[in-house]
Amino acid sequence: MRDSDRKRYLAKIVDDYVRRRISRRQFLTTSAQLGLGAAALGTGMSRPFGGLFTPANADEMLQPSQEVLDWVADVSTPFRGTTLKLATESTPPSNAINSQLKPYFEEASGMTVEIEVLPLEQVLQKLTLDIASQLGTYDLYYIDQSWAAFTSRDVFDPREQLADKPDLAMPDWRVEDFLPALVDGIARYEDRLVGVPYDIPIFIMMYRKDIWEEMGFEAPTELEQYYQQAKAITDAMGPEMYGATGQMKSGHYSLECDWTAWLWGHGGSIFNSDGKFSGNDERGLEAMEYWRRLYQTMPPGVTGWTWDGQGQSIAQGVAASMMSWGEFFPYFDDPNATKVSGLMEAARCPAPKNPLRTVEDTGFGEIPGVGHQGGSSLAVSQNSKNPDAAWIFMQWATCHDTQVLITALGGGTGPTRTAVYDDPRILANRRVGPGTTRHLNVVRDTIAMDMGSEPDLPEWAELANDTIPVRLGKYFAGDYGSAKEAMDDIAQAADKIVSG
Amino acid sequence: MIVESQARRMTRTLAAYMVVALFVFPLYFWATTAFKNAKDIFNTPPTVWVFEPTLRNFEEVFGISLGFFRQQEVLPGGGNFFMAPRLWDSIVVALGSTLLSVIVATLAGYSLSRMDFRFRHLFVGWVLSTRMMPPVAVAIPMFFIYKDIGLLDTYTGIILIHAVMNLPLAVLLLKSFFDDIPRDIDECAMIDGASRWIIFRRIVLPMARGGVAATAVLCFIFSWTEFIFVLTLTQTGLKTVPVVSSSFVTSTGTAWGNMAALGVAATAPAFLFILLVQKQLVRGLTLGSLKE
Repeated sequence: MRDSDRKRYLAKIVDDYVRRRISRRQFLTTSAQLGLGAAALGTGMSRPFGGLFTPANADEMLQPSQEVLDWVADVSTPFRGTTLKLATESTPPSNAINSQLKPYFEEASGMTVEIEVLPLEQVLQKLTLDIASQLGTYDLYYIDQSWAAFTSRDVFDPREQLADKPDLAMPDWRVEDFLPALVDGIARYEDRLVGVPYDIPIFIMMYRKDIWEEMGFEAPTELEQYYQQAKAITDAMGPEMYGATGQMKSGHYSLECDWTAWLWGHGGSIFNSDGKFSGNDERGLEAMEYWRRLYQTMPPGVTGWTWDGQGQSIAQGVAASMMSWGEFFPYFDDPNATKVSGLMEAARCPAPKNPLRTVEDTGFGEIPGVGHQGGSSLAVSQNSKNPDAAWIFMQWATCHDTQVLITALGGGTGPTRTAVYDDPRILANRRVGPGTTRHLNVVRDTIAMDMGSEPDLPEWAELANDTIPVRLGKYFAGDYGSAKEAMDDIAQAADKIVSG
Repeated sequence: MIVESQARRMTRTLAAYMVVALFVFPLYFWATTAFKNAKDIFNTPPTVWVFEPTLRNFEEVFGISLGFFRQQEVLPGGGNFFMAPRLWDSIVVALGSTLLSVIVATLAGYSLSRMDFRFRHLFVGWVLSTRMMPPVAVAIPMFFIYKDIGLLDTYTGIILIHAVMNLPLAVLLLKSFFDDIPRDIDECAMIDGASRWIIFRRIVLPMARGGVAATAVLCFIFSWTEFIFVLTLTQTGLKTVPVVSSSFVTSTGTAWGNMAALGVAATAPAFLFILLVQKQLVRGLTLGSLKE
């Protein structure tokens, strides 16, 4: 068979498989006959949300780079038999590595990688315990951006690792290749890099194109326009369909995430340059007023939902739009899991109503922006018994080739490296279907232009997970007389915690 | 003789059915969730009775293809929700800790019931007081101790901590069961020349086997559902079902179908264990309810 015919046939059978015209057995058999290796490995194993391991395209491009694996094998010789441990949240990159890509690394390096997948709060508990005890039970840390401050002295700065161990440095692995906004927003704390950006859930606008067209709307470009559109849809189609939805569960971190998007979008900030809480200033109250109005356009029950319920309200056709984590988009395109496959469109978040505050106007490195990011970094623990081996794994897990495979096999998650967005393997997957990458241009633009990052201070985990969302929840439950009263209460509590 | 009217009887029966339905419906809904596609799980309005059944959630959790019923193949040992080994971990831990608890508690309970020594009542109070400490207060110090002595992330470590956790309750329960067996029996046997050990093993223990079964069931259930110790004292070596169930909570949602599949599968061993000791359990639960 000629190479061109072989490739054409491969593309056809993958298309058949993706469209469920042939079974996985037939696909695997045919793939094997045509010498298709790793591309077939990913099929059949799926996660329910954003994790369908749909091959981007059919040819050998989806196999791990032999060059990378050769480097792993070469530098890992002294570390054969080593066991590395990592505790991580169940995110698309971690899941793709854990279930599919890890065997390649283990085979090449002779090391064993044990990945403990846990909910975020349990990862925090494990990480805190490991840091406090300095026992080095984990070699690598998965660090949510809100933990950067308190972990910064307990992990290696990758720039130092590159400089100190040139013999262990992966060729062409440079910190500069990561999206600069992510390095600053996720991995930088004061003068140190707390690892490198590992994943990047970020707020983008996702809306029902069919409903928007039916209503004669264009994608919203301003916040007030978005509210008017959401209200018009709720008025016209409710209670079967609501214009907007949210993640507003009382006392949950998700509520704080929604709040920051509206706060930053109205030119406010969490802290001012004196390090005092400023959510209760004029812009903060303007944001609360906007949020209160938008809340009226959302389905009942929204105050009981985290991002899970929010995503489901879109997936089940209850709500028409949400400004939320872009990781949901590939899941929405899955016809087996949602009612909105092919109906969703991604866009940049509407522009802020007032000019954004600059980093200098805020406190603790807070970066205002409508696109709230919840990214995480990956770093080698200072307490690790095998820091060099862990460093090799970290470079492999965050290199260009692995990120392409994670994005292609892991369900269209946003890469943290600039060049991955333009990789042919990623571009090939821009079509309606599970694991699509057709939203990634919006993700990249949002990271570059709209990204908002929470402040970096050791007390932030407490403020973001308890102090602020508990009181915001009380506000929406009607426990405060006004938004001003609620915000003043948060200000008092937050300032007390920050001042120690 | 009081004759109940038909209407009254029907009302009573109806009320009984409603109460039963109240308890059974959540179980039914959870069990059927395990057989639903994501679309049906989250359907609005909820699909309660009519849905397209699937075994996919079980296939993913157990990493197997279910032959004849197969709707989509799953690679063996594959995906992130492959939890079959964790079910085995739960069984080993629950059975091991139950066995250990029951052996120690039986001996301790008998001693406290039959032997007179100074401060016996204080001793009983002290045993009970260890149960009053919340596990979360002990978990962190235990982490450091376990790390030092090499028990972190091991079956032995978790079996030990679960046994220790269950011992106070088991000791007190068994003591009360032994208390219900008349001391006269021990004394008669002693007059016939039986030793303490013989009396315990051949006479008292068989008489209290219902109580032992009831205690074993409670220990098994507590171990089966324990969360905080397993979360803190394990890493990747082993995990029990309650802890891995939280792994279904991902950054972009919860895999309810898979979680329900694991939940349904996890009830089977506990159900089987209770079924095996059911006969003794009923005796144990009613032991001492009637005094002569």
